[in-house]
Amino acid sequence: MPDTTLPQTALVSDPHAQLAAQLKVQRQRRERLRNAAAYAVLILIALIMLYPFYWTLVTSLEPTGNIYEAKILPTALSLRNYLEVFSGTTVPFWRLILNSVIICVLGVTFTTTLATLAAYPLARMRFPGRDLIFYSILILMVLPNEAGLIVNYITTIKLGLLAQTSPLADAARQYLAVVLPGAASIVGLFLLRQAYLGIPQELIEAARIDGARELTIWRRIMLPLATPTIAAFAILEFVAYWNSFLWARVMLPDKNMLPLSAGLLELSGTFSTNSRAVMAGAVITIIPILIVFLMGQKYFMKGLEGAVKG
Amino acid sequence: MTTKGRRVSRREQHRIGGTGASVTVRNTLIAYAFMLPFLILLVVYHTWPVIFGSYLAFTKYNIISPPQWVGLDNFRELFADEQFWSGLRNSLKYVLVVPVIQVISILVALLVNRPLRGIGFFRTAYYVPVVTSFAVVGLIWSWLYKQGGAVNSVLMGLGLMRGDHSLLDNPATALFAVMFVTLWKGIGYYMVLYLAGLQGISRELEEAATIDGATRSQVFWNITLPGLRPTILVCSLLSTISAIKVFEELYVMTPNGYPAGSTYSALMYSFSKAFGGDFNFGLAAAASMVVAVVSILFGLINFRLTKGGRSDA
Repeated sequence: MPDTTLPQTALVSDPHAQLAAQLKVQRQRRERLRNAAAYAVLILIALIMLYPFYWTLVTSLEPTGNIYEAKILPTALSLRNYLEVFSGTTVPFWRLILNSVIICVLGVTFTTTLATLAAYPLARMRFPGRDLIFYSILILMVLPNEAGLIVNYITTIKLGLLAQTSPLADAARQYLAVVLPGAASIVGLFLLRQAYLGIPQELIEAARIDGARELTIWRRIMLPLATPTIAAFAILEFVAYWNSFLWARVMLPDKNMLPLSAGLLELSGTFSTNSRAVMAGAVITIIPILIVFLMGQKYFMKGLEGAVKG
Repeated sequence: MTTKGRRVSRREQHRIGGTGASVTVRNTLIAYAFMLPFLILLVVYHTWPVIFGSYLAFTKYNIISPPQWVGLDNFRELFADEQFWSGLRNSLKYVLVVPVIQVISILVALLVNRPLRGIGFFRTAYYVPVVTSFAVVGLIWSWLYKQGGAVNSVLMGLGLMRGDHSLLDNPATALFAVMFVTLWKGIGYYMVLYLAGLQGISRELEEAATIDGATRSQVFWNITLPGLRPTILVCSLLSTISAIKVFEELYVMTPNGYPAGSTYSALMYSFSKAFGGDFNFGLAAAASMVVAVVSILFGLINFRLTKGGRSDA
């Protein structure tokens, strides 16, 4: 807001102008006060939200000292806990990282491929049963699935995904066993369908007139134009797969196959481990998520809103 | 627009050859081919659990031998088990989180909706707990809750706590301590949804009311809040259902109902029956079914309370 540029003489001579100027100063002061209060609350909440992470980072960097007390700065700095967690004998940390990376790559590939494919006919093709399928999926989304963990465990065993033949085949099957239950994402289907519906019909028609097959239309028109949505969805799925721990921990017979977040629980459960090493592990588990989140923040919020609206 | 487009495209299909019928059959096959992989996995991992899970609730089943029909036996056993009731009570207690988290999230959303400098930083900061795994934040908070830990220092500093005992070790407070973590982790999530809701409310309406002399609180109660009603419905529904299904945070922070079985939730009871060593999948499925029924009931109650999310009410 630019300052009032009334000449001093006018201010002095005109009581109305004087009053107006006074009111304005008052209003500005009130606004400044209100903003200061807002910032105070904002900072307080930010502290509550971020301090737990900061505390974990600081404690993981300390070699010794009073481990659980509240702290602002580390008493001493050392990477000992990080070395310890990587050289871990109870839980192979490098292997956990590899597992998480493989699970995320597989998971993101599966979910995005399946959803981008399945959403296409639902959005842009005409065939018998389309509405039936669409509404069945919609109903499935609201049906309670509390028995999912139990039945999916039984299914995984019956499908032979936990069978043991050779180490390499076992590993491949167990990665699949972790990834498959979440591979058909209903939220993703709706997000993609919504994105496809927004693509101009003329483009599709022109392609069809030119004799393009549906797969070509999907690959050359739909996918490029839906890229922002696909990116948003891929980020959501990356985070979901990176963070999920329960399913893997319940179902996998082999601890060497666990993803990082599940392995961390395993690590904290063993009495011999130094808690600071677990904290180092927690910091390492969070870092990739933070990077992905900060880079794709815009997509992230968009995907989330779309997911709820869809 | 879409209808018109489709009609044209069908005419075009006729032009490029093929009779109407064969094009439709071929089109239908292509359409289903696109959806097939998705639908197979959907049926196996989403539809099947609903069907088979409901069936299992009436059987004895331990994976090794085929399921044996036992009628309502599982439910009788369930309702006779004090542990299950305590779990169900805890799941219902957990619904207390819902109003608290919704009110705070709305207030936070209003706060970060102000055009202040650096507001993007705060929005991001509040969202960080949302994107971190319960495996990690559960561990972090169980360290913070330790005796002599950060939480106790703050509480004692504020004079809210006497004697340095971990809240997680006390059967009277453990559940509430975990609830706080759920709250802490969920605020950012609902904040974003409410922000989207706030952005959908007409600025002009609020400004017009202000010019006509409405106070800030009048604007809030008569324009902003009614405008948010659809968002409130969705958010409180989501949060009620996840409260009744609460499991992951308890699994990490108070494993096996620690302390003294005081923090079992209904779903955790089901989990422990299936995977706690006795592989009683029938009983576990029955418990899951009760949770499902309760969450549907609460969903309906929620719907009534928010008047179906109509913003004109």
